[in-house]
Amino acid sequence: MKYKIYSYSVLHSSTVDFAEKTPYIVAIVEDETGARQSAFVEGWREGIQIQIGGALIWAGEDEAGRARFALADK
Amino acid sequence: MRRVSVIGIGETKMGKLQLGLPEMISQAGNAAIADAGIEKSMIQAAFVGNFNASFLCNQSHIGPMVSQVLGLGYIPTVRTEGACASGSLALRMGYLSILAGMYDVVLVGGVEKMTHQSTEYVTSAVASAMDYESEAEMGMTFPANFAIMANRYFYEYRNVKEEMGLCAVQAHSNASLNPDAQLPKQVSLEKVLAAAPIAEPLSMYDCSLVSDGAAFVVLAAGDIADAVCKKRVVDIAGSGHAGDVLTLAAKPSITSFPVTQQAAKQAYSQAGLSAQDIHFAEVHDCFTITQIINIEDLGFAEKGRGGDVVLQGETARDGRIPINPSGGLKAKGHPIGATGISQIFEVVTQLRGEADARQLPRADIGLCHNLGGSGGTCVVTILKGR
Repeated sequence: MKYKIYSYSVLHSSTVDFAEKTPYIVAIVEDETGARQSAFVEGWREGIQIQIGGALIWAGEDEAGRARFALADK
Repeated sequence: MRRVSVIGIGETKMGKLQLGLPEMISQAGNAAIADAGIEKSMIQAAFVGNFNASFLCNQSHIGPMVSQVLGLGYIPTVRTEGACASGSLALRMGYLSILAGMYDVVLVGGVEKMTHQSTEYVTSAVASAMDYESEAEMGMTFPANFAIMANRYFYEYRNVKEEMGLCAVQAHSNASLNPDAQLPKQVSLEKVLAAAPIAEPLSMYDCSLVSDGAAFVVLAAGDIADAVCKKRVVDIAGSGHAGDVLTLAAKPSITSFPVTQQAAKQAYSQAGLSAQDIHFAEVHDCFTITQIINIEDLGFAEKGRGGDVVLQGETARDGRIPINPSGGLKAKGHPIGATGISQIFEVVTQLRGEADARQLPRADIGLCHNLGGSGGTCVVTILKGR
């Protein structure tokens, strides 16, 4: 299954649980069927270019069963 | 259909207040009742909006707090919640109760206490307005939700970062004339565009404020309003309420809000009016991008042209359709549960000609637009001065 970025944002401020991870990216990820979900994008750091339509890969599930996504090209 | 009118209004200043929930309810509630010029015994029910006191103050059951503070006896009370639309939901429920013939006079209000907690804690609390499991637990925040909408808007239409900045400049300019505003200070476009990002492309100046505040209004059936009102009678000419899904990812489009379009359609239809008939509006600028989208969804500009309308000055105080003469959520403040009612406060003040330095020259028909979450709830109210 292929995934792409429907939209995204780089966060510099966050909730109690995520404050220490800033800056980071959250995205709405769209699969080939058009279904979308929100995702924390792993493997990003400042300087890496990111844009709508960019490819993401499914990177398994975390211990809580949440889907993880990462940038396709590092 | 029965006529329903606003006969009394009251609000606290907004900002970091040295007042708790009871003190704010007392100030705003008593002011509204006094403004209406009625005995408290005439009030038959109270509807009060509050979003997050359960989380931020460990305080739920706000209805009885209102009864206790204002001395309302045994009348029925209820707290309404629809995220940032909690206040206007109180108005909507109060309005429907009079329309139904159940009551003739009701008290409607909203209150929120937010400034006593840290930014991170408040951000977590506000995140309860989205889908906590599938959004907040992925690292989503409210600014991020709307930043994601902004980036998509830039992709589908055009980059409106500067126009968003103009919305902030206008908000501050309007707020500088409002004694109840949290930030009554002008700000330059240069400063706005240079501000550090919160969630790109949104910076501090693109985000509404964390505020304490309360606002209350008294609604009455039209014939009672005629008998008791010593000021210009303001009627609810149209009212609309629509809902949608909770998660942003479940919406077919994230650059317009069907809840707004549908609630507005109901209100316009009931009032027998169109967007062109509206003289001015208080719209839900939780973020500057939201204001641009709201302008389109409410019919003040075509889809994708909301930025143009702002750029051309049409939404400024001296423009064709002044938006947020109060200063809006960006500069007057956003004490979440109170916001919907504080919008009513502003529109009624303008319609009565009592807005002093910020009085608009043409103010007979005003619109209030209050949005909950990422567009999961919307209430639109059209008010007409008699």
